[in-house]
Amino acid sequence: MNDAAARLGLKVGMALADARAMHPRLAVADADPPADRLLLEAVADWCERYTPLVGLQPPDGVILDISGCAHLLGGEAALKRDLVGRLRQHGFAVLAAIADTVGCAWAVARYGDESLPRKGTTIALPDDCHPERLAKRDEPGPKYPRDKGVAGDHGRLSRLTALGWDDDRKNCFIVPPGGAREALAPLPVAALRLAPEVVTLLAQVGLKHIADLLDRPRATLAARFGTELILRLDQALGVDQESITPRQPLPCYVAEQRFADPIALERDVLGTIQRLGERLKITLERHGEGARLIEAALFRVDGKMLRISVATSRPIREAALIRRLFAERLAATGDAHDPGFGFDMIRLSVIVAEPLNPVQTGFDSSDHAEEVLELIDRLAARVGFRCVLRAVPHDTHIPEFAALEVRADRTTDKDASPVVGPASSTLRPLTLFARPEPIEAMAEVPDGPPVRFRWRHVLHEVAAVEGPERIAMEWWRDEIGTALTRDYFRIESREGARFWVYREGLYERETTQPRWFLHGLFA
Amino acid sequence: MRAGAATERLSALKREVAAIEGTRIALEDRRSLPLGVPGIDAALGGGLAFGAAHELEPAGPVHLGATFGFALALAGGVQRTRPAVTGPADDVLWIETSFATAETGRLHGPGLDAFGLSLRRVLIVRVPRPIDVLWVLEEALGCRGIAAAIAVLTQNLDLTATRRLSLAARDGGGLGLLVRRPSPHPSAALTRWRIAAAPSRPDAFGGLGPAAFDLTLNKNRHGPCGRWTVLWDHYDGAFLDPVSVGVAQAAPDRSDRAFRRASARSRAG
Repeated sequence: MNDAAARLGLKVGMALADARAMHPRLAVADADPPADRLLLEAVADWCERYTPLVGLQPPDGVILDISGCAHLLGGEAALKRDLVGRLRQHGFAVLAAIADTVGCAWAVARYGDESLPRKGTTIALPDDCHPERLAKRDEPGPKYPRDKGVAGDHGRLSRLTALGWDDDRKNCFIVPPGGAREALAPLPVAALRLAPEVVTLLAQVGLKHIADLLDRPRATLAARFGTELILRLDQALGVDQESITPRQPLPCYVAEQRFADPIALERDVLGTIQRLGERLKITLERHGEGARLIEAALFRVDGKMLRISVATSRPIREAALIRRLFAERLAATGDAHDPGFGFDMIRLSVIVAEPLNPVQTGFDSSDHAEEVLELIDRLAARVGFRCVLRAVPHDTHIPEFAALEVRADRTTDKDASPVVGPASSTLRPLTLFARPEPIEAMAEVPDGPPVRFRWRHVLHEVAAVEGPERIAMEWWRDEIGTALTRDYFRIESREGARFWVYREGLYERETTQPRWFLHGLFA
Repeated sequence: MRAGAATERLSALKREVAAIEGTRIALEDRRSLPLGVPGIDAALGGGLAFGAAHELEPAGPVHLGATFGFALALAGGVQRTRPAVTGPADDVLWIETSFATAETGRLHGPGLDAFGLSLRRVLIVRVPRPIDVLWVLEEALGCRGIAAAIAVLTQNLDLTATRRLSLAARDGGGLGLLVRRPSPHPSAALTRWRIAAAPSRPDAFGGLGPAAFDLTLNKNRHGPCGRWTVLWDHYDGAFLDPVSVGVAQAAPDRSDRAFRRASARSRAG
């Protein structure tokens, strides 16, 4: 329900037929929670321009931890003015509050001004679009001396100026440090994020405002209205701690650049990334670390935020290298990163950092191993690390498990040390089919090698055979005990092509109808 | 004495020309990989040239295994021949398309042992789109730390693509091996081979003897074409001329093999 509907006297919870009876021209849109959720997430992404610590409070709230961030924009009031102003430009109705605790910010944002419309999502007037409502607030983390929150409520509408919002009034939504008690006192009890039944119960005994609760004996309150009431009260007052769950992993290092004039060219974006990389390099060097996972956040003018991340196979901190990796990533994703009307802010964050000690390099710059690592990073930036693999031998007889394919950035030289055992003493095929292919084989005796077999509709005459090599399933893998023993044969056809085939099941002991499979190709 | 000075002067001039043309390695200085079979090496002018692209065509679907084997044998050879400047030996890169592995099977690590390749020096890139194979191949060939890059192609290449790959290989100095189907398009590759498995001779115990390859050199930009049958001895890690093998077969006793393997290992290491 939007503001215009509220002014016509409609209420949340009213039957649609009643509302239509009052105002026949009413426009109705169905509630669409998934779309609301997506919008809320987009808003949360956008809010990352203020602080990396952004949490969601569905269905309509976003919470920002702005501890230590406010001074970047000239103080809390300026930050809030900037945030609310920009969201309003995008057409949201916003309520925002800054406070010491999540609970307090939530309460002040929603109930700080009783004259503003409350919740509702299903009824709208003809000239309005689908109303979504969001709120945003922030919270205290235990490790900061002073925590501030911004909370807000938006419905994507243009009626805000009509409501006469002004900056003075918005400033009232900033609760001074330690002022949570005074700020909360005049608010209704519903501002404590309580279940509706509890609110009704409280109202029945005349406890309508938070002030009524503050000085009551806690034990009695808990006994009568449940411990949730005490918990919420303590959280709002900052006696009990409440943490927000950040939507994104918190970066170790961050560098950002804002632009007065939006940039749109790929060259400019990459140039900025390189400059930010150089700034990060100084910090990384000071801490003796290098980046393993880097994320670039591109904030578009129209409010959309694009994330691009690159992973590396070893810690890096060279800006030029970072730039090249992002260039590959951009090339690979192509149109997914449409600059639209341009980006007005770019942030480069190091999400995962690892120790990187300075290495003295020789004058001879032809270090091939280093070049290969760079190549792996570049390939991975384009096609993804799950495509760039190294085979690591595994100590088992079962051919399918004898080599594990591991991401190239997760292997070390130690992993790939040759296994002394079955794998090195017998010949194994060059290629192995992920699923052994059934073949029709004819053998002279049921447990002998095949004389001819048909694979993919082609008949192959067997010229020479070596085998069998009997491989039974390892008992610790075969929990249900149904895996059959395999007899492998190396086979050469008349043409000279070599195959690895096996018969599944020991004749007469495990099965009377052994089946044949082709498992791999030899040279 | 005077002849030596003249050759030196000539190669210096060639290097100068190469520098002007922007290629890192002058044609004369380009190393090559001898296959160890006199007929082939003579046709190739000493061996398979590094820093170039070569095409390998299986003679039929059945011969894919043989083609892979030949490619890996060459890659292993390059890895051993090219001395690493610092640190460990150069890597070999294998590129395949994920959907094509249903047809050919996936590269199986333990099987590489027979071609003298160490698992820790082999990178496998399995990409979802065929077009990425070319991009990965070009990047890999341009990298000096890659001794050889083998790509299993599912699509036809035009002249531009093979030309780009050749240029990348010339910069990186590695061996580019394109496993591809026969195609009517012209190509900038230095050589084109048609590879088939050939019936092998059983070993002394009646088991499978050394794998035999029927190699047809269809295209050779610096020499004549030809057709040869060679054997691959996985203990020695070398190609053999079947004629010489037929006359005197190696004594198949284990201690001898163990010794030869150890010597091959130490050469590889």
